[in-house]
Amino acid sequence: MGLKKLFVTMATIGLGIGLMTSAALAANLRVLAWDGYADPDWVKDFTASTGIGVDVVFIGSDDEIWAKIKGSEGQDFDVFAVNTAQLQRYIKADLVSPIDLTKLPNQKEVLPRFRDLSTVSGVTKDGKVYGIPFCFDSIGLIYDTDKVKPAPTSMSVLWDPAYKGKILAYDNGEHNFSFTALTLGYKDPFNLSAEQLAAVKAKLVELKRNVLSFYTTADEAQQIYQNNDVALIWANYGQQQVKALQKIGAHVAYVNPSEGALAWLDNWVISKGVRDNAAAEKWIDFMLSKKIGAELSERTGFGNTVTQTSSAGGNDKLVWLNNVEDPLKRSDMWNEVKATP
Amino acid sequence: MSLLAAVLAFALPVVFVVVPLALFLVYSFFSVDQGTIVYAPTLGNYVRFVTDSIFVPVFWNTIVLCVSVAIICILIAYPAAYLLTTLKGRWRYALLMLLLVPLLMSYVIKIYAIRSILGLNGFLNKALVALGILQQPSTLFVFNMNAILLTLSVLLIPFAILPIFLSLERIPQTLLRASDDLGASGLQTFLRVTLPLSLPGVVSAASFVFVLAIGDFLTPQMVGGVSGFTFGRILYSQFGTAYNWPFGAALSVALAVVVICAILIGERFGRNRGTSV
Repeated sequence: MGLKKLFVTMATIGLGIGLMTSAALAANLRVLAWDGYADPDWVKDFTASTGIGVDVVFIGSDDEIWAKIKGSEGQDFDVFAVNTAQLQRYIKADLVSPIDLTKLPNQKEVLPRFRDLSTVSGVTKDGKVYGIPFCFDSIGLIYDTDKVKPAPTSMSVLWDPAYKGKILAYDNGEHNFSFTALTLGYKDPFNLSAEQLAAVKAKLVELKRNVLSFYTTADEAQQIYQNNDVALIWANYGQQQVKALQKIGAHVAYVNPSEGALAWLDNWVISKGVRDNAAAEKWIDFMLSKKIGAELSERTGFGNTVTQTSSAGGNDKLVWLNNVEDPLKRSDMWNEVKATP
Repeated sequence: MSLLAAVLAFALPVVFVVVPLALFLVYSFFSVDQGTIVYAPTLGNYVRFVTDSIFVPVFWNTIVLCVSVAIICILIAYPAAYLLTTLKGRWRYALLMLLLVPLLMSYVIKIYAIRSILGLNGFLNKALVALGILQQPSTLFVFNMNAILLTLSVLLIPFAILPIFLSLERIPQTLLRASDDLGASGLQTFLRVTLPLSLPGVVSAASFVFVLAIGDFLTPQMVGGVSGFTFGRILYSQFGTAYNWPFGAALSVALAVVVICAILIGERFGRNRGTSV
């Protein structure tokens, strides 16, 4: 009899826990973010101070965010991180909600250049704010100080036959067309004419022949670096990659090219399918605190929008990423580059 | 009750296999404009696949690659399976289990491991240099088609061993003894009895490996570098990068046609006639 009672008690407790977890899951804030934007201790602090549980899904590329958000018409996530160049596409497709700045007290304390959001290209539309700048970095060049002498100053070093088979480039058509356009001296790398696109494509085919492999994640690039003779890395993940490589003892340095470095600026945005707008605002405001900003830069090396960092030097020319003329066209042309023998 | 079971038995494959495949087929006739799918039927995707200069050559190269993978797997798996059938009792199955253990491991982890073996400073190159076989590390197996060929072969060998082993095991011992009694040498018995009777297993194994290899995009993406561009990678890019699902669906349909042909060939020639003897 006692045994039966025990079973019943256990079953009841089990059922109770099951119900509690499912209830907690239903109310949790659903966050889609890059690795490093929602560290477990921050999430814990956030939940402790607001009582809001958080489910984080990490992504590996801009395209993946688009596929996830567009695929569910914004219903699968409440808050996500996206860069300025991409944001307009989401606004146009009606996948994000405008943000009420009065609900974000910390936004008044950010660095001067991010304070007036109407001056930050890409985060507003028709006077409404859709993105809150959170984190930025340049896309520069990592070079092995033992193998590359003198220190490079321009991306044109990637075409140098001396480094054939020792270069890691990034597997993304949009960025590759933009930075190559800058290297070729085009004024607006995000709006290329048909002739310019053709010229860039030809240049990229040459680049491909000089490259060891195209990577997608920072970890992947690091693993390739460790097992191969790599001299130059087109650093899509900027400072994060430099830090990780230095940590494993690599003799590498970082440079923003003189023709201008592409630079990204990531923002927190609220999706159209947000379940609890107040919770999403609390998350964004929490992310703009001085503590998180400082820790973000300390851990990743990225510049944050709250505290001053040395992520990009004052004299470095940065070209904020923008919408490109035709992403599909660039993606197709990038496939053509890769398919060219 | 039995009616319910019958309905379920048909409904499950229909819902989970036929409907998704049909959706793919339907999507392949749509198009994309400014990141939105246009639901008006068009043959444009197929026309583009056939006329554009990049898709058909890559498609063909990928088929050649996967046939090569199948051949390599068979050449390695056949002796392994043959060796297994010569073992007695418990040993036979213990060793078979050992050969299948790699299947328990995560696919991605295996690729990562193989990638660090293949690198220019990887284990393979270091070993070859240390043994004096190479003067300096070779780039022959670093981020190219050869790397894909090697990696896929290593990953898929277990799938080739199993069907070959099963067909070899089914050959009645009496036939081999009869051949021996009639004065055939070991080699003659193998060539004229064992090999022909095990061919159905070989064909099934080849079609298995081919189908698995041609559907894989991860291995080429991770070890293929700049020259190892395969059809799976193009297909993948249509869903992730380009957000061109209709065109991706059309490419999938092209791939599915090849896969179905491979399976039909495997089925047609892979029937084990050994059992009817």
